[in-house]
Amino acid sequence: MAKKSSSDKAPQNEDPGKTSDEMSNGNEEPNFSDPEDFVDDIEDDELLDDIIEQKPSETDGVESVIVIDGVPIVEPKRLEKLQSVIEKIYGKFGAIVNKYYPQDENGMTKGYVFFEYSNPTSALNAVKQANNYKIDKIHTFKVNLFTDFKKFENIPEDWEPPKSQPFKAATDLHNYLLDPDAYDQFCIVSGNVGSTSVQIWQNCAPDCVVVEDRPRWTDTYVKWSPLGTYLATFHKLGVALWGGPQFPQQVKFIQRGVECIDFSPCERYLVTYSPRSEGTDKRLVMWDILTGQEKRSFQPDGPNVWPIFRWSHNDKYVAYMGEDVLSVYETPSFGLLDKKSIKIPGIRDFSWSPTDNIIAFWVPEDKDVPARVTLMEIPSRNEIRKNNLFNVADCKIFWQKSGDYLCVKVDRFAKKKEKTEQKYTESCKFQTLQHFQGMSYNFEIFHMREKLIPVDSVEIKEPIHSFAWEPVGNKFAIIHGESPSVNVSFYEVRCGHGPALLKKLEKKACNHLFWSPSGQFIVLAGLTTMSGALEFIDTNDFTVMNLTDHYQTSDVEWDPTGRYVVTSVSSWKTSVDNAYWLWTFQGRILKRVNLNHFNQFLWRPRPPTLLTSDQIKEIKKNLKKYSAQFESKDRLRLTRASKELIEKRCALMKSFDTYRTERTEEWNKQKKRRMELRKNIDTDELDSDTKNMDEEVVEFFVKEESFIIDDK
Amino acid sequence: MKPLMLHGHERAITKIKYNREGDLLFSASKDKQPNVWYSLNGERLGTFNGHNGSVWCIDVNWDTTRFLSGSGDNTLRIWDCQTGKAISQLSTNSSVRACSFSYSGDLAVYATDKALGHQCEMFVIDIRSPEIILSQEDNICRTLISGSRISSLLWGALDETVITGHENGDINIWDSRTGKKLNDAQGHKGQINDMQFNKDGTMFVTASKDHTAKLFDSDSLMSLKTYKTERPVNSATISPNYDHVVVGGGQDAMDVTTTSTKQGKFDARFFHLVFEEEFARLKGHFGPINSLAFHPNGRTLCTGGEDGYIRINAFDQSYFDFHFEY
Repeated sequence: MAKKSSSDKAPQNEDPGKTSDEMSNGNEEPNFSDPEDFVDDIEDDELLDDIIEQKPSETDGVESVIVIDGVPIVEPKRLEKLQSVIEKIYGKFGAIVNKYYPQDENGMTKGYVFFEYSNPTSALNAVKQANNYKIDKIHTFKVNLFTDFKKFENIPEDWEPPKSQPFKAATDLHNYLLDPDAYDQFCIVSGNVGSTSVQIWQNCAPDCVVVEDRPRWTDTYVKWSPLGTYLATFHKLGVALWGGPQFPQQVKFIQRGVECIDFSPCERYLVTYSPRSEGTDKRLVMWDILTGQEKRSFQPDGPNVWPIFRWSHNDKYVAYMGEDVLSVYETPSFGLLDKKSIKIPGIRDFSWSPTDNIIAFWVPEDKDVPARVTLMEIPSRNEIRKNNLFNVADCKIFWQKSGDYLCVKVDRFAKKKEKTEQKYTESCKFQTLQHFQGMSYNFEIFHMREKLIPVDSVEIKEPIHSFAWEPVGNKFAIIHGESPSVNVSFYEVRCGHGPALLKKLEKKACNHLFWSPSGQFIVLAGLTTMSGALEFIDTNDFTVMNLTDHYQTSDVEWDPTGRYVVTSVSSWKTSVDNAYWLWTFQGRILKRVNLNHFNQFLWRPRPPTLLTSDQIKEIKKNLKKYSAQFESKDRLRLTRASKELIEKRCALMKSFDTYRTERTEEWNKQKKRRMELRKNIDTDELDSDTKNMDEEVVEFFVKEESFIIDDK
Repeated sequence: MKPLMLHGHERAITKIKYNREGDLLFSASKDKQPNVWYSLNGERLGTFNGHNGSVWCIDVNWDTTRFLSGSGDNTLRIWDCQTGKAISQLSTNSSVRACSFSYSGDLAVYATDKALGHQCEMFVIDIRSPEIILSQEDNICRTLISGSRISSLLWGALDETVITGHENGDINIWDSRTGKKLNDAQGHKGQINDMQFNKDGTMFVTASKDHTAKLFDSDSLMSLKTYKTERPVNSATISPNYDHVVVGGGQDAMDVTTTSTKQGKFDARFFHLVFEEEFARLKGHFGPINSLAFHPNGRTLCTGGEDGYIRINAFDQSYFDFHFEY
């Protein structure tokens, strides 16, 4: 009010001169000053009644005002710095037309700030997006609209407790696991964009059965959650999860244009990503699956390899790699672990152990410091193992599924050259360097379960096409050599020993390796360009169980139990011969399903077994007893099926016969007229016309032989 | 048994046909000369010389005296079977796509393509004295086909009707004297490439681009059975003495490079007529099969392919020993 009163005084002081000038009214410059004796006795109300009515009230226009709380308290000389920081953050939501930093008598700021935007939408956006903004580890900005204060003032005195909702039992999401025969399910997406239908099948003997068939269930593709509980579908408005018997919708996440999703390994959280969203729309959001609530959102920029955020095995942490930095967030708060990121200059790639909270990452060579692979424990951030590498072009990190071993594939230059040094820094060139002459390839094997984590190394001088760990067990396979005829080598890793070559299969036509999820068996596949050659191998004795092909196979999928393999030709890759074929693990074909516009085949994953390793051993020991039971069950099923088939055929034949008798009768009635048309010659049967038989002898050359009759 | 391979044509085979007795085999191809062969040993008996374009359709009458051929050179020719001389040459406005002798052999029907500003038309002609038939005006009945063009045709029972299969998959029955449409059916979703009767002519099997072959009743056009494949079907034929249907086809010539011959997509495939179950395949051609024909005694199957070969396959004993359980 002090301000207002002072401005009121000012015109009063000038008034006298102004009026006197008006009165003199000469040809000279008018003088607007009031005369000395002028007394302003007219009230504002009288004079400006109509304008005063429009006088803005205190709360007018405050829709555009926000209040930021939690601002650091600073002394006057740092105020400017604070202003520039805050205004930079909040300036991006719209033009700030008015700002106010309250200060106490010592000039210290009071820890809150008022901003006025040019319009209320900017203010709303600022609240929506910059609330809970973490400026440093102690200060988090709390943003509110100014009008909110008014809203909260008017809370009624008598608060009514909300009524308790009737209890709704959640659907049994795991009922598919209760199938008495433990049949697996799979899902098929087919159709053109805009009219994709999704089918869920059960792989029963002797024939698969449709469980659910819905047209337009998804807009693009589908994805199972890692334990198979949910099926995720993609829609214009967001992502939906389905599960339980008959697949009702469980939860939906509204976010436009989602292209990629990633489940956390224990299915607690979902990450959705809309790479194309622009402006203020959220691009990457983390959701809680059970509540459907948003936990946190990010705006990652630049091209990234999906998944951008990678989960630890137990959903406890999620990590993101930025430039020279690795940020680990912890759940459920989704705040930075220890409130700060881990500085790792030059970090190029990282990967979580599938069973432990250990991150493996690598950094390239930098001047005199060699390239390095590091294993870091989270949350302690202890570097439990470091391995220095030289002449490195690129590294790839492969964890064995049970977390016992880690393999880092290292592409190396044979000799260190001046030229190559510069190439390390240009990451974009690594692709072209992959098959650079004189490259060699090292496989660094980390024995995770041994003391101090010893590292062994296998070197191969030929180009590498593929590498794969046996998911359970201790073997790995490598495809190497000059295509098209390549070699496949199998190595075994044992405690206290370096990797030993078990077998080298030479001159194979393959470019991908697919281990059975239960180990031992592997499919070597020549996908797409290699015309779909398939080789089923038992790695216990390296017998080739079957050598076959499925032309233009684009995908190979093992079922979660390792009993079946599906090869498929997706219409995403090629438009002809879209199909999926079902094989046994030995490579015997069970079923060929050709389906136009077939897109995607996915087995429904299973959660890990609840049996202890002793129980599994027990079952394996008594396998003979069980297999006899199962075989008799299978046989029974087959005979039932063939009986059904024969019954079906009988019925078909019977109805067809009735139809035929009728038609043949009609036909027989027409015989006379038929005879008339053909000069009364009966031509109904080949030999029915006996009168016109004409025997004709045709001689033709059969073969020529020459004998020498007399040798003398 | 090793099949007889007849290599008398220089280009893709378009149509093969046995005469009624089955001693002769007639063949047409995209080269200009239809051939006739002894079916027993595959010896070539002669050629019909005169056409200047691909020969799309051929037929032989019931007593093997006359031979009919329609070509892309806009002519329909009637030949004497014995001498191989043309008796008559009839000029049309566009390609002759389908032609057929009637049951009596007194009448014939042919259909012309929709091309060069001309509509698809169907003509019924009396050929008892073929020498005088020289133009399109010499006909008994001329029918303008307004919709989709005719791609295949058959005579109905007792020379009274004509059954036509169309490019859009429709099947129609016409009165052969008035040209009035008597019945129609939406048989297929794609072009009908071939139609063949069973032995008594009460049913026929269609081969369509929509990857299926279907069995229809010749009168009611009721669809009785469907035989599914994953390739366009070019031809289908019914065994005269077993409940078997053989279908053949393959990808269009332009897409052939994308298909491996190993996949067996150029096989002739055997289906049970009633159960619609596939039970055998016959390999051989290295291009799509364009035409199929059973020998009238049912002991031999003849196939003609895009690769220019005609293969005469005499069945092994195992074929006759095979029976469906029911």
